[in-house]
Amino acid sequence: MSDAKASTDDKVLIIPCSGIGKAFGSVGREAAYMVMEELRPDETDTVCLSLLTLGDEDGQRRVREHKTITIDGCPQACARINVEQAGGTPAATFRVFDVFRAHKELRVRQVSDIGENGRQLAKILAEEIAAKVDALRKGEN
Amino acid sequence: MPDLPKKKVGLIACSGEELPEGTISRMATLKVLEQLRPEDTVTLCLPLFLAGEERERAFARFYPTIAIDGCAKRCAAQATAKYSAPPAASLVVTELIAENGLPQPHGVRRLDAAGERVAQAVADLLAHEVDRLLGKPSSPIVAGDGAQPVAAEAGTMAVATCSCGSGIPVAKITVNSHQVEVLALPAIFDQFREQGKLPTDDTADELMAAVKIYNRVAADEEAALHEAVLREYAAYVSTSN
Repeated sequence: MSDAKASTDDKVLIIPCSGIGKAFGSVGREAAYMVMEELRPDETDTVCLSLLTLGDEDGQRRVREHKTITIDGCPQACARINVEQAGGTPAATFRVFDVFRAHKELRVRQVSDIGENGRQLAKILAEEIAAKVDALRKGEN
Repeated sequence: MPDLPKKKVGLIACSGEELPEGTISRMATLKVLEQLRPEDTVTLCLPLFLAGEERERAFARFYPTIAIDGCAKRCAAQATAKYSAPPAASLVVTELIAENGLPQPHGVRRLDAAGERVAQAVADLLAHEVDRLLGKPSSPIVAGDGAQPVAAEAGTMAVATCSCGSGIPVAKITVNSHQVEVLALPAIFDQFREQGKLPTDDTADELMAAVKIYNRVAADEEAALHEAVLREYAAYVSTSN
């Protein structure tokens, strides 16, 4: 169960990797939206990763001031690295592959349509992230 | 010619997660990559310019690129120019909506009907821009007129893939005491060695001809680069034997 509606300043930023060429990037983005729209809509927010890549001052300030969770779709770890380069320290990092490794029956093939397997994988990941959001908001690491 | 990736158009979408227009940039790009121009386009995740290595940053110097941005911040165009090379063309979804009287999109996770329509219009424009950059014939367009999909071969599914890890090989060599990046040089050296070419003056001329396919070489820099490429090739051959 999520806490009461959080103030803007208390929100945990969920930053997926913006992956466009790999199916796991799409799964990571879907998981992020599940958390932000369904599971913890009042406790979470996001920043366009492309803003951080560009060096946008407002985007950089937000990742420095908020607790941040990154989600990466491939080993290049663009979300984590871009947040770190922006001066932030991710409070937690998730990799889609780690979830897949525990659920190898959920193969995802297409970037633009992750299908039922992809949605299931995203849901499992989203629930892990939501639990982490709760822990972070309680002051746990 | 060395065995390098085919010259295609690189599509760099901002994929902005906060705005419907960011989702449109990604969906339109995927439509072009998967359906409209699968043989003529490649992509790279925008954040990889910063997170990646030299071969990722060489992307826009090898491929003519189109930046597809969701909003006026133009992250894709600016980041591509900052880390790689200025895009050959750029497109901003919010401007396209305003200029063409398209409906206002809603939804970041799932686009509404208006968003789907705008995504199709952006994809159509992109497909025509790809044709233009590759010098292919393309009919005049109106946003949303519906570019024709290219049929995939029987039994195959067109799948978009990014170019990370399979990018352009780059070598850094010293020219006039400066470090210079030369695209494709490792592949060119491999090919010349396999052909048994020795590091002679004649070979140097051939090497430079290959180098100039993939790199812009200013006239006043050519002699120094010629000398440096031959020197590097001699070193490469001696360590390879």
